[in-house]
Amino acid sequence: MSEMSELKRRAADGQAASSEHDAQKGKYMTFKSGNEYFGLKIEYVSEIIQFQTITAIPETEDYIKGLINLRGKVIPVIDVRLRFKQEPFEYNDRTCIIVINVKSTMVGLIVEKIAEVVEIKEENILPPPTIGRMDKGQQKYVYGIGKVGGAVKLLLDPDKLLNDDDLSVAEQANDMILGEE
Amino acid sequence: MAEEFSTEGMLDMYLFENEQLLEQLQDRVLEQKDADCFDEDSINEIFRTMHTIKGSSGIMMFDNITAVSHKLEDVFYYLRESHPDNVPHLELVEHVLEVQDFISSEMEKIRNGDPVDGDASELIKDLDKFLEMIKSGTGKKGTAAPPPPPPANVHEEPKQFYIAPVATSASRFFKIFITFFPETEMANVHAYKAVYALKEMAEDLLYSPEDIIADEASAEVILKEGFRILLQAQCDEEEIRKLIGEGYDIKHVDVYECRADEFLQGFDFGQPKAQIDLESSVEEIESKVQASQEASKEEQAPEKPKIAPGDFVIKSKAPGKPKTLAKDKSKTEKASFISVNITKMDQLMDLIGELVISESVVLQNPDLKVPGLNLNRFNKAAAQMSKISTDLQNVIMSMRMVPLTNTFQKMNRIVFDVSRKLGKDIEFEMVGEQTEVDKNIIEHISDPLMHLVRNAVDHGIETNDERIETGKPDKGKVTLSARTEAGKVWISVEDNGKGLDRAKILAKARKQGLLEDGKPESSYTDKEVYQFITLAGFSTNEQVTEYSGRGVGMDVVVQNIQSIGGVLDIDSSPGLGSIMSLKIPLTLAIIDGIVMETGNSSFVLETGVIKQFVSVREDMMIHEPNGEEYIMIRGECYPVIRLGRWYGLDKYEESVENGMMLILEVEDKKICLFVDKLIGEQEIVVKPIPPYIKKVKGLSGCTQLGDGSIALILDPGGLV
Repeated sequence: MSEMSELKRRAADGQAASSEHDAQKGKYMTFKSGNEYFGLKIEYVSEIIQFQTITAIPETEDYIKGLINLRGKVIPVIDVRLRFKQEPFEYNDRTCIIVINVKSTMVGLIVEKIAEVVEIKEENILPPPTIGRMDKGQQKYVYGIGKVGGAVKLLLDPDKLLNDDDLSVAEQANDMILGEE
Repeated sequence: MAEEFSTEGMLDMYLFENEQLLEQLQDRVLEQKDADCFDEDSINEIFRTMHTIKGSSGIMMFDNITAVSHKLEDVFYYLRESHPDNVPHLELVEHVLEVQDFISSEMEKIRNGDPVDGDASELIKDLDKFLEMIKSGTGKKGTAAPPPPPPANVHEEPKQFYIAPVATSASRFFKIFITFFPETEMANVHAYKAVYALKEMAEDLLYSPEDIIADEASAEVILKEGFRILLQAQCDEEEIRKLIGEGYDIKHVDVYECRADEFLQGFDFGQPKAQIDLESSVEEIESKVQASQEASKEEQAPEKPKIAPGDFVIKSKAPGKPKTLAKDKSKTEKASFISVNITKMDQLMDLIGELVISESVVLQNPDLKVPGLNLNRFNKAAAQMSKISTDLQNVIMSMRMVPLTNTFQKMNRIVFDVSRKLGKDIEFEMVGEQTEVDKNIIEHISDPLMHLVRNAVDHGIETNDERIETGKPDKGKVTLSARTEAGKVWISVEDNGKGLDRAKILAKARKQGLLEDGKPESSYTDKEVYQFITLAGFSTNEQVTEYSGRGVGMDVVVQNIQSIGGVLDIDSSPGLGSIMSLKIPLTLAIIDGIVMETGNSSFVLETGVIKQFVSVREDMMIHEPNGEEYIMIRGECYPVIRLGRWYGLDKYEESVENGMMLILEVEDKKICLFVDKLIGEQEIVVKPIPPYIKKVKGLSGCTQLGDGSIALILDPGGLV
C-alpha cells in the first residue's frame, strides 16, 4: 500500500509545517464545484474574498481568469471548475474567491460555493482507490477521500492543483467514487 | 546577508570593513598591474590595508588571516623601506591577489558560520620565498639600491605601529594621557578600545605601552603609569574627548595639543618625569612637559627625532607638507556616506511605490467627478502633493543608483586572471564606469558581463603567436564601456580579436539542425547568424577550457539580460574583433506610461517608445489578402497590429476611425498599434506578473491603476 505510506508522509509533512497551528489540524475548507464537494487543508487557505474585477491576461490557459489586486499585491486567479474541465458557470456577487498560499505562491481560486470548514479525522481519510486508469495515476491532485458523516469530500493537493498540466477531475472523481462503492 | 549578523555587530563590522578594504586593494593593484612597479602611494596603501586587516583579524582571533596579512605586510614593509628595484612586478601582483582571494574566501566562511580553517601555510611559504628572493636580489644589486634598513626592523615581530605617512597642513598634534580607575580589569583592552576609536580619524597614532594586545602584563603598566597616546589628526580636543569618553573605566583624560616637532619626539617627554600625578593641575603638568621637551629638543635638534625602537613612525616625506591628498579625500567621503541595509532600501522603495499608487487613487477618485464641486483648493493642494511625491521618488531612485565602477573592476580582475592563465597579453580598458544604474540591475548584469568578458579573453583574443602571424599588435585589448542613451544603459564588451567566424557558426548550426530547411545560408544576415551563439549548448570553441567552451554561458547571458528587460546585440567583423552590447533599462521600478484601453482590458506602454498618436481614416488602411494590414501615414507605410485581435480579446473596436493609432518605435522598426482609446499618462509602478502565469508574449509586467484595477504593461519589443 504505497499510497498509504505516501499519505502518512504527507500528513506528517503537514503537521511539521504547522505544529503551531494545532487548532487547524485536521480541518478542511470545503467547497462545491460541479456536483462534488472538495476539501482543502485549512492551513493553505489564507483568506476568502468577495468576487472582484479580474484583469484578463491574454494567451493563457482558459482556467486562468486573470489578475486581481489584493491590497496592493497582484495575484493570479483560477477558476476551479474550468481547471477540472467542468462546464463554466456564471459568476455573481455571491461567488467567492479562496486565496490560498502554497509554497509562498498566492493564488485565488474561484469556486461555485463555499460550504464549510469540517474536521476530518485521519482514520476517515481513505486513499484513492487504485482500480482503473492507474497508468495515469501519477497525477493525483485528489490525494484522499474524506468521509464526513454520510458525505464524501475529495481532498485536494493544492500543489498539484496549481501546477499539474492537465487534469480532468470528473473522470478521476468518478473512478474514485465508483471504487468507494 | 547583513541582517543575519545584526546581533553580532562586531563581526558584522569586521566583515564589512575588510571587504571594503580588500575591494580597494584589488582596485589599486589592478590599476597598476601593467606598470613596472607599484608607486609609493600604492605600496603604502597596501601596507596599511594589510596592517589593518591583520589588526582586526587578530582581535577577532582569525589566526590564519592574521598570519597571511602579516606576511604580506612584511613584504610591503620591505618594499617601502628598501625600494628594491628588481621586483618581479607581475609576480608580486599575483601574490597580492592570492592573499586577497584567500582572505575573501575565509571571510565568506566566517559569514556562513563555517569554521575558518583555510590553510595559509602554502601562501606564507610562497610569500617568504618571494621576500627572500627580492631581498637577495637587492643584495646582489648592491650599490644602485638604497641601503636596506637594519635587518632587525624587518625580521622583528612588528610592533604596534600605525602608519599614516600623510601629513597635511590642517593636521594638529595631540598628546593624550588616559588614566584608568585602579580597579579596572584588563586595562589593556580598555586602552585598545580608545586607540581603536581614535584610529578612525588618526593620521598618525602612537601609544605607550605598545604591546597592549598580546601582553597582558601591560594592563598593570597602564594602571600604574597611565596610557599615553600621540595623535596626529584633523580634529580638535572636543572630538577626541568625545571619542574616548570618560566612563566607568576611564577615570580621566588629558588632551594637550602640541607641535609637529614635539610630536615626532614620540614619548620622549622623559619617561619617569612625565609620570603625571593627578593631583597637580593641568597647567603644571603642561609646563613640566613643555620644559622637559624643550630640554630634550635642544639636545636632539640636529639629529632626526629619536624614536624608540618599536615606536615606528613611518613617514614618506617630512610631515606638515601637504602631499598626496588621497587620504583626505577618502576621509571626506567617509563622512558623507552611511551604509544602509539593502532590505530597508527595498522596503522604502516598495512603500513609495504604494504611495504613488494611493496618490493616484486619491487624485483620480471618482467621488471628485461629481458635477458642481468646487475643487480649486483641492487641486492646489493636490498639485503640491504630486510635486513632493515626484521629488521623493526621484530621490529614492537616485539613492538606488550606483556607479558601475565596482562591477567593472571585477571584470578587470577576470581579464587579468584569465589572460595570465592563458598566456595572452591583454590590455583592459574601461570607459564610462561612472555610469549609474539601479542597484537591482547591477545585480543582474554582473554574471552576464563576466561571461562576456571571459568569452572575449578566451575566444575573442587570439594567442600571442596567432596575433604575430596575422600581423596584429601583439597586445590584445578588451574594452568595457558604458553609456546612457535614451533612458537605457548600453554596456558593451569589445575585443580586437579574431571576431566571430560566420562559416563556423553556420556549420555548427546546420549540424544542430538550427537552420530552416530550404533557406540558403547566404540569406541569413550576420546578426541572425551571430544570434545562434546565444542558444543553449552552442559553442564553436573546439576545446573546453577552464573558462569557456562548454556552450553554457551565452544562453545564460541572454536569459539574465532578458529577465530585466534588456537586449543583447552582437556585432563582429572577421579579423578585427567583436562587440557584444547589452541594452538594459536604467531602472526597473517606476516608469512613465501611457494608459490605454482595448476591449475591457487596460494596457500600459512606456511613454518613451510612443512616437505619435494618430487618428486615422479607413481609406488609409491597406489590407493584404493574407490578413496583414498596413497603414499609410504621411507617405510612410507602417505595419499595423490591432491589440484586440493580437490577444483575441472580447469586444474590441473594429473600426479604425473610432479608435486610436499609436506609432511605436522599437529597435529601429516602426509599427502602428491600434487600441480602442487612450486613458491618460501616469507614473507606473512596475510589478512582475506572478510567476505562476507563464510568460505571455508582449507583456512585461503589470501595474495598479488609480482605481485599484490592474493594467498590463506591454513590452513593445515582444510585439514586433
